[in-house]
Amino acid sequence: MNAISIEKASFAYDDVPVFTDIDLAIKKGEIFCLFGPNGCGKTTLLNNILGILKPLTGKVSIEGRDVSMYHPRDLAKLMAYVPQTHEKTFPYRVCEVVLMGRTPYTTLFSSPGKEDYAISEAALAAAGISHLRDRIYTTLSGGETQLVMLARALAQEAPLIVMDEPASHLDFRHELLLLETIRDLVADKGLTIIITTHSPNHAFYFENHGLPVTIAVMHEKKILSTGPPAEILCEENMRKIFDVDSRVFSHAEKNENIMRYIVPLGTR
Amino acid sequence: MIFKKKHILYTLLVIAPVVCIFISLFLGRYPLTGENIIQVIWHSLTGSGEAPLKVHSTIVTEIRLPRAILGSLVGASLAVSGTALQGLFRNPLVSSGMLGVSSGAGFGAALAIILFNNLPSIYLFAFLFGIAAVALSYFIGRIYKTTPAIMLVLGGVIVSSVFSALLSFAKYIADPYEDLPSIVFWLMGSLASASYRDIMVSLVPMTLGMGAIFLVRWRINVLSMGDREARSLGIDIRGNRLLVIAAATLATAGAVCVAGIVGWIGLVIPHIGRIIAGNDNRILVPVSMSLGACFLVIIDNLGRVISGGEIPLSILTALVGGPFFVYLLKKTKGGSWQ
Repeated sequence: MNAISIEKASFAYDDVPVFTDIDLAIKKGEIFCLFGPNGCGKTTLLNNILGILKPLTGKVSIEGRDVSMYHPRDLAKLMAYVPQTHEKTFPYRVCEVVLMGRTPYTTLFSSPGKEDYAISEAALAAAGISHLRDRIYTTLSGGETQLVMLARALAQEAPLIVMDEPASHLDFRHELLLLETIRDLVADKGLTIIITTHSPNHAFYFENHGLPVTIAVMHEKKILSTGPPAEILCEENMRKIFDVDSRVFSHAEKNENIMRYIVPLGTR
Repeated sequence: MIFKKKHILYTLLVIAPVVCIFISLFLGRYPLTGENIIQVIWHSLTGSGEAPLKVHSTIVTEIRLPRAILGSLVGASLAVSGTALQGLFRNPLVSSGMLGVSSGAGFGAALAIILFNNLPSIYLFAFLFGIAAVALSYFIGRIYKTTPAIMLVLGGVIVSSVFSALLSFAKYIADPYEDLPSIVFWLMGSLASASYRDIMVSLVPMTLGMGAIFLVRWRINVLSMGDREARSLGIDIRGNRLLVIAAATLATAGAVCVAGIVGWIGLVIPHIGRIIAGNDNRILVPVSMSLGACFLVIIDNLGRVISGGEIPLSILTALVGGPFFVYLLKKTKGGSWQ
């Protein structure tokens, strides 16, 4: 069974269609990159997957069951979410924020218990931010905040994590750190990751490290094509989607896999 | 170790208001010596010892004690409602009256004063109009199917201003010698008429509301992450939000109907709590309750003691609380607000 399957889904805000007739199948244990230019509807599609929006026609199923049929608590045990931007209001401590990942395992009147504390400590460690646990999270940088959000998602212990542009505020090092963390989650823990991204090199990064990756390109309200990055991210497609000339380079380092990356040359 | 610390904290939070209530038995305009008061307390607790004078025991057990108990309940209700709504609306400037409960209750009380001018009808009208105002805000907020928090806040602003206008109208047509002073006095808040009957009347809504907020305090943390994230963390947004609003409204309406409009507590006590205990509602909610209870009992004692007459509560809450809050801000360098 697929982790997620989307059948003939369409969505519109009032009368403005955002996407139409989308079919996608996301397999368990893979990294699924949803790729496309600004404003192509990636986030709206993600909201349909998360159950925040409901498709007008068609359906989105998770583990074979329609998303809208789940109680939020049960859905949260299956799927965690890392937002693109997190608006901070109250100066909570980092460990308090991460502990909120344990909410689906509490009842209406209960708070997280001992076991939940242990699990969120482990999540902090897995995200590599144990040293931040007692910091006030409103004082963190954008990159650190993103890792806190990831740790909170890990504390949910869901087999599926949805990330919306997780690297959009990150510097050179933090971006790589995040990619490495995702790589380990898929390779070691067998998680399924859905990630929206502007950057084609993210998809190449995962493929270069031998992980199962599928990339779906969203363009003009449809999925233009789906497949492994090496096939999909070609110079011709980049021209079609972005109107950009680019070059794909590849090399093999120390007899390892072929490493590919793409470099933009100019707008046309 | 942490477990023990928690127990000490909770014990302190319960003891503090009890101490404040105990102290207020010794304060007042009627000249009673400490000995008289101890005698009354000892006699009524154990039934032994020398019987105190009737007037002494009436003042202590029928006037000062119910007044202090009511004050602590009202203060705790207002403070904890403010804390809950601030978390829910993700806005530290929200107060317990945000959704119109105070303005609704104010109009209800004015109406009752004009029409009937007796206490039970004032309680009833204040309570019902307070709740009706919040219900109205909630339904205005739901004009948009999704009930985003900002629409609720807007609904609260609209309903509050409408009820303020109605209140002004009520004042305008009220008898200026009989009713108007009562309305104005009620709007400034007072515990002067406190009795055990008042406690009985308001105890049910206040404890129900406070109890519900205390039980769901973890969920308030999660709701303060915003709708999208709270949902993806497994929370039924609409149900939980409605529960918190209903609980906060019940507690505030219960408090306002017996004590009138007591300003300031529902906005600033939560902040003092945040400075002292941090923002985790698991600790902040009980801390707010305890602080609110202590604060209002102390303020009421000041109001009774510092001048010949009674100074209305809202005047003192701000006059005493304001400088104290600034002192705290300075002491803690603003807590962790940036």
